[in-house]
Amino acid sequence: MKKTLVPVLDKAKSLGATYAEIRAQKNNNTIINLIDGQIEAVTMASETGAGIRVLASGAWGFSTNNSLKQTDLEKSIRSAVKMAKAMGKSIREPVKLAEIKPVEDKVKLKLKKDPKDIDISTKINNLTTINKACLNFEKRIKSVTVRYADLATDQTLATTDGTFIEQQKTVVWNYCWVTGKNNGIMASARDEAGNHGYELYDIDPPEKIAQRVSKKVIQQLEAKTPKSGEHPAIIGTDIVGVLAHEALGHICEADLTLAGSALMGKLGQKIASEKVTIHDTALLKEGFGAIKYDDEGVQGQKTTLIKKGVLVGLMHNRETAAKMNMKPTGNARAQDFRVPPIIRMRNTCFEQGNYSFDELMEDIKFGYYLEAFRGGQANLDGTFTVGVQSAFEIVKGKLGQPVRNLETLRQVDACGREPGLAMGRCGKGQLMFVSSGGPPVRVKKMLIGGTEK
Amino acid sequence: MTYIEFCRKAVKTAQKAGAKEAEAFVFDTRSTSVEIERGEIKTSSNITDVGLAVRAISNGKIGFAYTNALNREEIEKTAKKAVSASTASLKDKNWRRLPEKKRYPTVKNTYDKRILEVTSDKAVEFCQKMITVSADVDKRVLAAFGGTELSSQEGACVNSNGVEVQDKGTFLVCYLGTMARSESQVSPVCSSFKATRTYKPEPEWVAKEAARLAADALNVGKGEAGKFPVLLDPQALQAILTYTFIQSIRGDIVHRGRSIFKDKTGKKIASTNISIYDDGTLAGGLYTGKTDMEGVPRQRTPIIEDGVLRKFIYDNYWARLDKKESTGNAGRGGGKLNLPAYCTVPSITPTNIVLKPGTASEQELLKEIRKGYYVRSVQGAHQSNPETGDFSVALAPAWKIEKGEIKHAVKGTMIAGNAYQMLQKISLIGKDARQVGNFIAPKVVASELNIISK
Repeated sequence: MKKTLVPVLDKAKSLGATYAEIRAQKNNNTIINLIDGQIEAVTMASETGAGIRVLASGAWGFSTNNSLKQTDLEKSIRSAVKMAKAMGKSIREPVKLAEIKPVEDKVKLKLKKDPKDIDISTKINNLTTINKACLNFEKRIKSVTVRYADLATDQTLATTDGTFIEQQKTVVWNYCWVTGKNNGIMASARDEAGNHGYELYDIDPPEKIAQRVSKKVIQQLEAKTPKSGEHPAIIGTDIVGVLAHEALGHICEADLTLAGSALMGKLGQKIASEKVTIHDTALLKEGFGAIKYDDEGVQGQKTTLIKKGVLVGLMHNRETAAKMNMKPTGNARAQDFRVPPIIRMRNTCFEQGNYSFDELMEDIKFGYYLEAFRGGQANLDGTFTVGVQSAFEIVKGKLGQPVRNLETLRQVDACGREPGLAMGRCGKGQLMFVSSGGPPVRVKKMLIGGTEK
Repeated sequence: MTYIEFCRKAVKTAQKAGAKEAEAFVFDTRSTSVEIERGEIKTSSNITDVGLAVRAISNGKIGFAYTNALNREEIEKTAKKAVSASTASLKDKNWRRLPEKKRYPTVKNTYDKRILEVTSDKAVEFCQKMITVSADVDKRVLAAFGGTELSSQEGACVNSNGVEVQDKGTFLVCYLGTMARSESQVSPVCSSFKATRTYKPEPEWVAKEAARLAADALNVGKGEAGKFPVLLDPQALQAILTYTFIQSIRGDIVHRGRSIFKDKTGKKIASTNISIYDDGTLAGGLYTGKTDMEGVPRQRTPIIEDGVLRKFIYDNYWARLDKKESTGNAGRGGGKLNLPAYCTVPSITPTNIVLKPGTASEQELLKEIRKGYYVRSVQGAHQSNPETGDFSVALAPAWKIEKGEIKHAVKGTMIAGNAYQMLQKISLIGKDARQVGNFIAPKVVASELNIISK
């Protein structure tokens, strides 16, 4: 590979590029969807390609190629340099990259169970078990979708700085959407589980996944509509991660911060309650965001975003780090070779506090315990929403009736002591596998978008 | 070899390897784009992605494989892989057969050679224009992100039932997201865009609209909770209905008992002023083409006419299962893993969802509201509950309306409502429609929505 890629990088330099990088990938994917007990299709696929990025005249040019032949890559790099130069004419503030130490490394995966060694029939079997266990859980469960994917990537990253990293990555992902029906009321719940290896199903056996998601559906069917307005709430592990991801994570992505997010110019200032400490880390091995090097060749690390309520760090790539005079944090990630790396989260978590769950509930006269989420979204002005799919009322410090559909969070005043981690996907133009989590946390008040007064 | 020839080769190879039925699909996308970031143009890309997919079926067992290397050897390998994947699968008792050959419609304004001839220099110029124009509108406005994208798509589909079709299209998009800052306020991101199939660049129009919205969003006043009439922009309407209504008109969701509309065809489900079509043949529509992604002709399907539910949308699989005709709504790609078109089997996907315009002018729409809100965009719609229609969204940006006039922007305001009930309470429909994603709709007044405010 090196023999092919180095001459292409040299070509870029001779054409006037100040920096060039080639990210060559060979991907092998298996995808199986089970729709109400029927296999939609077994997908087995392989693909090859390279994403090529150059910096010339202070601007970025990006191009892709499905071929890894030297002549084809040279063609792509020529096109990327030409485009970058076309923009460079008008640029006021040329792009600069923070210095990094070039790395040569070979990162082999150490999986307990490599998905490629597992039979298709075993993979199918685990999905049909989930389907059956959901339907057997309760007669009100009516419809089950189970989606499975294992995505394996062999990546070679070569840059004009001398970085040359061969890195293997895999994701094993299990997704369920289960619907129940009772007296004309319909309710659904979602479950996502993941690991780097097929040991996913040893840690999270199919029956356990089925029970977890089915229980949520039944709770939903018996739920009542929440009271709208501001109420105290305890946010469970599943949602606390979404809170870390949506409420703080996105606006701490330095590209978005610089684009004018609510955190622009707030480094060093107190932006949250002093109970809040949040990290984004590549070092949490079981998380989807565990990566040794990011897609710019920066070493994976733990980045503290908020420490005791104070904004202490942002997530950077080499470009934003140079612009803000900071160090790159290893957050540059790309969905695949078809797109350039951008700033993405890895494993974003609240740090634990020292309250037990009961202690968190104790002082709440009336409020909500938010257990599972449906999805989230952030806006640069700091508005964020978290769609909640299962929640319970807290009445006089005790868990009460489940409720349906809540939204939006704020104001943490205590953190629990039991940590947790949820696997997920995040969309920012490109799709990325990320994890997020933390202990349950309590918020003094949050705006609940219910329909009951 | 042409794409059709590649497809024929794949189908033949799969049949030889033992497939009873086989289908090959090629999808080719090429794009040149220039991006704005923080008021500067500094990234451009040139992306080419071509792939071939094979669906092989034997005894009701379906296998699927794809490759992005288009050469004879790789295509044979992929076809054989699809066959061995089908052997490894389990019988799908709902499988009937692949689509048959049909006549394709003639569609207009979907391909314009001029778009392919535009150089990246020109795209840089459009971006430059968006930056300068938005700053001219109001100096508190920053062009946070945006860009110009010129792209083309080409598809081909061949199956063992005699289908052989190819189609191509072009796209030109200018988009801009702005934010405005004053000493005391940060506006939410306000976006505008114009996407066309033919060469009609309008960067100035896009920049003016996005910049005005952001500047106007700085004038924040107090929101008021309660039930109010709400003027919904097509952007807000599209977001709310995409994750509720559009899910429930899909034939698979109906079949699986997950649609509220299950036994409602022929019944009134919306105000009588509402007619909605899925029109895959609309001249110049962003989702217009002569064929869907498994070789079934695109068509115009009435979903709601004068408030009455008419039809659901289908692909081949679910239509045959329900003894109906496919409505030409097979799409590919995207999904939970956000994959390119050639990486997935077909699934039911809307084309252009057209809400028939009414007669109300902008003035008349506003006058309809004594006290209420104008909502441009909503946030969090993808968290809606498609089964019940319940949604709960933050409004960003939105404005308070008093006595038929826009008063001031509001922050920290939400709507909690039900999309299906909302469709029954549309009191007025504007006359000017606009395409947002796969929606083509005018502004509408929802007569009563529950507003939550801090």
